[in-house]
Amino acid sequence: MTQKNLISQVLVFGFYLLLQIFFVRQLVLFNYAFCFVYIASITLLPFETNRITLILLGFLSGLTVDVFYNTIGANAAAMTLIAYLRPSIISLLTPQRGYDERQTLSLNSMGLTWFITYTATLTVIHHFVLFLLEASDWGLFLPVLAKVICSTIFTTVVIVIIQFFRKE
Amino acid sequence: MYQLVQFISRQRAFILFAILEVLSLWFFYSFNNYPNAIFFNTTNLYAAKALAASNSIKEYSNLRDVNTELATENSRLNALVSKLQAQQLDKSIVNYKADSAVAARFKFVVAKVQNLTTTQFNNYITIDKGSADGLAPGMGVISSTGVVGKIKSCSEHFSVVISILHSSYSVSAKIKSNSEIGSVKWEGTNPDEVEMTEVSRYKTVKLKDTVVTSDFNYVFPPNITIGYVKKVGVKSDQTFHDIKLQLATNFHTLSYVYVINNKLLNEQKALEEKSGDVKTK
Repeated sequence: MTQKNLISQVLVFGFYLLLQIFFVRQLVLFNYAFCFVYIASITLLPFETNRITLILLGFLSGLTVDVFYNTIGANAAAMTLIAYLRPSIISLLTPQRGYDERQTLSLNSMGLTWFITYTATLTVIHHFVLFLLEASDWGLFLPVLAKVICSTIFTTVVIVIIQFFRKE
Repeated sequence: MYQLVQFISRQRAFILFAILEVLSLWFFYSFNNYPNAIFFNTTNLYAAKALAASNSIKEYSNLRDVNTELATENSRLNALVSKLQAQQLDKSIVNYKADSAVAARFKFVVAKVQNLTTTQFNNYITIDKGSADGLAPGMGVISSTGVVGKIKSCSEHFSVVISILHSSYSVSAKIKSNSEIGSVKWEGTNPDEVEMTEVSRYKTVKLKDTVVTSDFNYVFPPNITIGYVKKVGVKSDQTFHDIKLQLATNFHTLSYVYVINNKLLNEQKALEEKSGDVKTK
């Protein structure tokens, strides 16, 4: 990875965290749909990022968001899990012809279907862990499920929309 | 030994994952119940400053609501003052005179809301006063219209409040019209509605009755409004009413709150502990 690439990756990572903390935090639809756009800071790292880096960055971004949500540990746990699972999900979703050497992890390069499936899978895992931990009560399972479904749709749509505005 | 090293290096991703996952869960289960975990929440100075900056924009758009609320509160207080003056004149209760220290035991501190959530299962509010202004964990917090919550932790200039919209927080309450005692708790989904339990079904409860804090309360002064009865039913066990309240505090526009400092709290608690048979709640 060249130095220029590295810097732009760091900027993208920071951009999603700031977006989450200062803007998206207030964004809730119908009390059920939450937006956790900062997931993209992990899911959009380049294909070749190794697992150790992914896990460390995931833990770090989760913890940062936790500080602002007063849910210390919940986001960190969910982010660490999806960072660990990311390589497996990517290989699960391998297209028939395999991944092309030149492909990058973005909407333009991977196509809409692949990108949405990939983002939604990781998002649903993250939300399920997060909301279940937060509720800490099986009696609230139905509201949790409703929150997970609505929020997954919301988060995925926002991440995809941001991709449309991205410069290649 | 060599094999062990080899195993660790092969599985290092999984081991790192397991360690961080356990660490996060440990954070989650210990810090969320630990009152002075200052560094890891919004009382952290840098986090709080960042929130204050982003909050200042929202504040302008809320000014109209805040004004209305303050005006309503003014009129309510005026009414109260005149009522008290009248009562003092006829001295209706024979020979009872509250000790002046007891009558003036509550001190109010005004604070501004920096951050609040209403949609999580456990909601917290960050305010801009802390231990430097005499605040301490356990103090009650009210708004101009009703009950808000209780302070969980303080740093020097900020505090985190457990909102009444928190799954493990309940307030001792009473129905104003017939003085029935019960407790009020949030059910976890609707931020405008709380549930009142432990009211016997053989008592009459009317719609739109006002529910206030009871006298058996360490945190709040008596007679602070909690909400208004919105729905009355019977619980499945047939012994208690199933009452839903409309919250008096509008958490969506909450901007200023009052923190209640009960100056005689320690004295009362120490006395009750010494005599032993009064349960501390």
